[in-house]
Amino acid sequence: MRRLRSVSVAASALAIGLVLAACGNIGSGGSSGSGGSNETYNAGATSVVNPSSHKGGTLTFALKNTPDSLDPGNMYYAWEIDFVRLYGTTLTTYKSCPGACSNKLVPGIATGLGTSSDNGLTWTYHIKKGLKFSDGEPITAADVKYAVERTYDRSVLPTGPTYFQSLLQDSSYPGPYKDPHGNLSSVTTPNPYEIQFHLAKPFPDFNYVVALPQTVPVPPDKDKGSTGGANYQKDPVSSGPYEFQSYQVNSKLTLVPNPHWTPNEDPQAKQLASKIELTMNVNANDIDNRLMAGDLDIDAYGAGVQAAARAKILSSPSLKNNADDGFANRLWYIYLNTKVSPMNNVHCRQAVEYAANKKDLQTAQGGPVAGGPIASTVLLPNEAGYDKNLDLYQAKSDPGGNITKAKQELAACGQSSGFHVGAAYRTDNPEEVSAATALKASLARVGITLDLHGYPTGSYYTNFAGVPNYVHQHDLGIDFGGWVPDWPDGYGMLDDILNGNAIASAGNTNVSEVNNPEINNLLQDSTSQTSTPAQRASDYAKVDQITMQQAYILPEVYSHELDYRNPDVTNVYSDQAYGMYNYAVMGVSNSSSSSSGS
Amino acid sequence: MALSRWCQLSPCGILSVGAIRYGDDNVRYAVDMDWWLRVAVTVDPSPGQHGLPADAGLTSAETAIEGRSLGQIAWRRLRRDKIAMGSGVFIVFLVLVAVLGPHFVANPDVYHANLINPTFSRPNGPWGGISLAHPLGVEPVNGRDMLARVVDGTQYSLLIGFLATVLAVVIGVVLGIVAGYFGGWVDTVIGFAMNVFLAFPLLVFAIALVGVVPSSAWGMSGNFLRVVLLIFVIGFFAWPYMGRIIRGQVLSLREREFVDAARSIGARGPYILFRELLPNLVAPILVYSTLLIPTNILFEAALDYLGVGLIPPTPSWGQMLSDAVSNGFYQIDPMYMVIPGLAIFITVMAFNLFGDGLRDALDPRAR
Amino acid sequence: MTTFIIRRLITMVLLLIVVSMVTFGIFFLIPRLAGQNSYELAAQYVGRNPTKAAIMQMEAKLGLNQPLIVQYGHFLKGIVAGQYYNSGTARTWCGPPCFGYSFRTQQPVWPQMMNALPVTASLAIGASVLWLVGGVAVGVLSALKRGTVFDRLSMGTALAGVSLPIFFTGQVALLLFSYKWQIFPNVQYVPITESVQYWFSNMVLPWVTLAFLYAALYARLTRAGMLETMGEDFIRTARAKGLPERIVVTRHGLRAAVTPILTIFGMDLGLLLGGAVLTETTFSFPGLGQFTIQAINNQDLPEIMGVVMLASFFIVLANTVVDILYAVVDPRVRTA
Repeated sequence: MRRLRSVSVAASALAIGLVLAACGNIGSGGSSGSGGSNETYNAGATSVVNPSSHKGGTLTFALKNTPDSLDPGNMYYAWEIDFVRLYGTTLTTYKSCPGACSNKLVPGIATGLGTSSDNGLTWTYHIKKGLKFSDGEPITAADVKYAVERTYDRSVLPTGPTYFQSLLQDSSYPGPYKDPHGNLSSVTTPNPYEIQFHLAKPFPDFNYVVALPQTVPVPPDKDKGSTGGANYQKDPVSSGPYEFQSYQVNSKLTLVPNPHWTPNEDPQAKQLASKIELTMNVNANDIDNRLMAGDLDIDAYGAGVQAAARAKILSSPSLKNNADDGFANRLWYIYLNTKVSPMNNVHCRQAVEYAANKKDLQTAQGGPVAGGPIASTVLLPNEAGYDKNLDLYQAKSDPGGNITKAKQELAACGQSSGFHVGAAYRTDNPEEVSAATALKASLARVGITLDLHGYPTGSYYTNFAGVPNYVHQHDLGIDFGGWVPDWPDGYGMLDDILNGNAIASAGNTNVSEVNNPEINNLLQDSTSQTSTPAQRASDYAKVDQITMQQAYILPEVYSHELDYRNPDVTNVYSDQAYGMYNYAVMGVSNSSSSSSGS
Repeated sequence: MALSRWCQLSPCGILSVGAIRYGDDNVRYAVDMDWWLRVAVTVDPSPGQHGLPADAGLTSAETAIEGRSLGQIAWRRLRRDKIAMGSGVFIVFLVLVAVLGPHFVANPDVYHANLINPTFSRPNGPWGGISLAHPLGVEPVNGRDMLARVVDGTQYSLLIGFLATVLAVVIGVVLGIVAGYFGGWVDTVIGFAMNVFLAFPLLVFAIALVGVVPSSAWGMSGNFLRVVLLIFVIGFFAWPYMGRIIRGQVLSLREREFVDAARSIGARGPYILFRELLPNLVAPILVYSTLLIPTNILFEAALDYLGVGLIPPTPSWGQMLSDAVSNGFYQIDPMYMVIPGLAIFITVMAFNLFGDGLRDALDPRAR
Repeated sequence: MTTFIIRRLITMVLLLIVVSMVTFGIFFLIPRLAGQNSYELAAQYVGRNPTKAAIMQMEAKLGLNQPLIVQYGHFLKGIVAGQYYNSGTARTWCGPPCFGYSFRTQQPVWPQMMNALPVTASLAIGASVLWLVGGVAVGVLSALKRGTVFDRLSMGTALAGVSLPIFFTGQVALLLFSYKWQIFPNVQYVPITESVQYWFSNMVLPWVTLAFLYAALYARLTRAGMLETMGEDFIRTARAKGLPERIVVTRHGLRAAVTPILTIFGMDLGLLLGGAVLTETTFSFPGLGQFTIQAINNQDLPEIMGVVMLASFFIVLANTVVDILYAVVDPRVRTA
């Protein structure tokens, strides 16, 4: 996916192959890990490294590219959602603690998690009293309502998720810019500290939806004139521990402490450093080198180091002690399209599943450490319903692929001598290029010839792989993809990529074009008001099983990444909720020099 | 250098000097083209003498050899130039590698996962995993044989470099002759077109064009379409330089006595064009083409490097370089970058040396 | 002379207009030839899971559904007279030269280019000084010491220089001087306004890499020019007058040989100012070249138009300046 909210597990237990059965039972609540100097390999996966409450110093971030936007209403990348908490607080948020405990939802500016009423059609939140924006004005329910309203205008704020439009009533509301006198009738504010969302159909996961940055309050009178709308990102009014001091768009951002912020506003965030700098457009390899040299504190993108740094870190004990092998809670996989001939025949899809060399795919994605363990399911190991024994094509026991079985399936498909089919991948993702060529090489062993078609990431889903007509015209029966659920459960993982109702004419994420009534019903069932967590887990497990039986998806790896932590940075740990280090609690130690030469 | 003199002869628009410039790309001509401009104004071929332009500047030793055509003279000179002959032989060798090599090396697409350390993604053993079975080592990540990929890459580099040159030369020569011979508004139009071409940031255009054409179009698809597209883009952008030189040549030649003579005995346009003018253009075309090939090879490598070249897994030197760089692999496996880099360098150098030698041999003023 | 300059300026504007028309036409047509309609083009700027209405809103906002002529008209008007832009909450005035607003980031294109220009300018100007001085010096010496070891060595190096792709030399330089020996660790662009020292030390590698390529070419050109000039009659005359060889070489020989070099220099510099794509990619400098690549990857028409027009402007300007200077030096040109 181009824009992914990443929810990552960095538990070392997973790294060595153990499996968490469900995420709900681990939120044990310890807000800090073991104290003292605990700088060892993978320490950040389960504990807080370098815990400290020292204030002051400059925390320096570098980003390999540029953000879509820093406007909380206009972002979707995982790192942006982690980073925005420095200057914005959502209604609900994830608990700041290492390991699986961070999957737990806790209140943000709301006094508690939302409660549903009216058969699950109304969700109510109460806003804490006495909270202030960085300009000293009070934060009220109207500011949250307005923040949601403005995201309805996709021509001004195109990037964020679209859950409100699809879940709430009144989906035709054009947004406050086009309709300044109207308002979104499905969000009401009975009093200044209460906000209600009125849904078109029940949605038990709604507390997760309001944890997305679109509920960061925006004062309507500050989103006006030449500094509002598309320009609001240049100096958003802060409701987090820091506020904008200066932002040179797509180049450099400087944050300073927000004087009106109190820990009550967001108990999950801290205000330690006296300055935070984010430099954009820095070469990824240079970011790694500067991290290792101690000149830079954090790689903002949070997707792990490059191959060169990986080799250096893993072969040097002292560097390795400052690294974590994080499970990014992302699945790299391959869509097997169900409409393109002959992939519309389940046997041909199964032939691909058998013939693929999963070991080569894993190596292409970065190997066991930086790529991740070979995957045999669609559900990720930390999602309820995951079954580690589900391995229909022996991806784990026979990762080289089973040529005999593949040929049998080909024969059953009526294509004994193999066939030609197109394969789509993203040219600007080196790992995916490697994976595509690896798949081509391994499928060639049974006579299946892949015609590789590369596209830029930016328009991969909107213009190519996500446009069914285009896929059909170009025989793109095999399409590479990656998915990070918007929140850590099976629904967030499965609905967008397997639900028949999710098929769209552009920007389609169900690239396999799976429209299996059984799957659709199971997903529908899981969101019904009466479903229990156990029922939902079993629904998701069934979806996973059908998907693998029907070979809709060829999983590659449960994605991992190797992260490096600068020893100067305090309170470092991998946060599962963001799939990277938690940016909202970090500080710098006494000894830290402020910045590199730049 | 005779820039101003050339300007005397023609409406000297902007960009009076020809040298291919694509910004920082050294896709440009390492030839001092003014030599041809000089030829255009100083050459004085006698009527009826076909072949290469003669010149008063020939040294006494050469003028003494009466009865030899300039072609023979040039060949004699070229044969004496050891560097040029050496590089010529090397080019023949390269062509043989391109044509026959793929039959003798391993399959360039086969993975050797057992030769790769999966954690580090780099080849086992020093120097990029060099061994008897893999004399140039293997690629990181997938363990494909480097020798096989470099050899296969030769094929595409030479093919695209050569055909793109042919395209540029054909367009350039035709339009150059037309502009120079007919003059008037034809010349003005073609001249303006050249100027427009030269005012574009061409590398940008090439990237954009290759990047947006879909993977199947005009009845072609996949790598074949891409090769055709690369040849077109590279060749199409190089023609104005060729055109300029030819136009200048024709402008001076058409006023010469031998053309007048032919005209006076009733020769018509086509005859004059092909029997009188073209033979006198052979030398500049030959030299310029030889020096255009390495330029085009570099251009193709640059497009590969920027990710808009051949489609993987087709082996290409530029792509190997960019793979080595993109993930920082070259920091842990320098051979992955050095080998394709050297392949490009040696090939381009060979063509440049040969082109230099050829120019010296054909240069009537060479001493 | 005045009429000559005016004529050149008119040609310059004419060329820029034609360039803009062709560029606009090509980038308007390419995606459509590739089978995308304006609705699909708009879809890529609306994020994930867009509704039909949202895509159509964006299509209308970006004006993608209008005919080519209308879109081009807006573009031209923006450059000449400026235009209003709707940021959602206000109509923002974007004064001339307004190259429009990026489809993807919704930021005005002009300030973005002006952010990138100092990077490219630092690179181009610094490198050009190096290569001009280095290239000409080596070329002159080679010509004077023709046939010596120095001549052969320097011309051999020069030939190697023009045969090496810059993305290879650049990476080798990075590998050795930055990663291995740490002489210039972590090369990255630092604005000169932030720190002159770090600006300089980070620029050294890109400068040398870029200059090496051009110096090689200039050395060859200078040598050839010098050799020819030194054989001319006026040099013989100067020598006959009894002038010292040093004066003959510098006052007479060099001046005549270097004039055409300066012509080429002006145009090379003009071209580089529009974006040093390969060097910037190799060293990850956020200059106009990088900006261009991103614009192309995003099919961001306003950004592509902006950067192509700026680059063309530099090229055409450099050529015009060179032509005018030439006319000053050599009056015969004016009559042409």
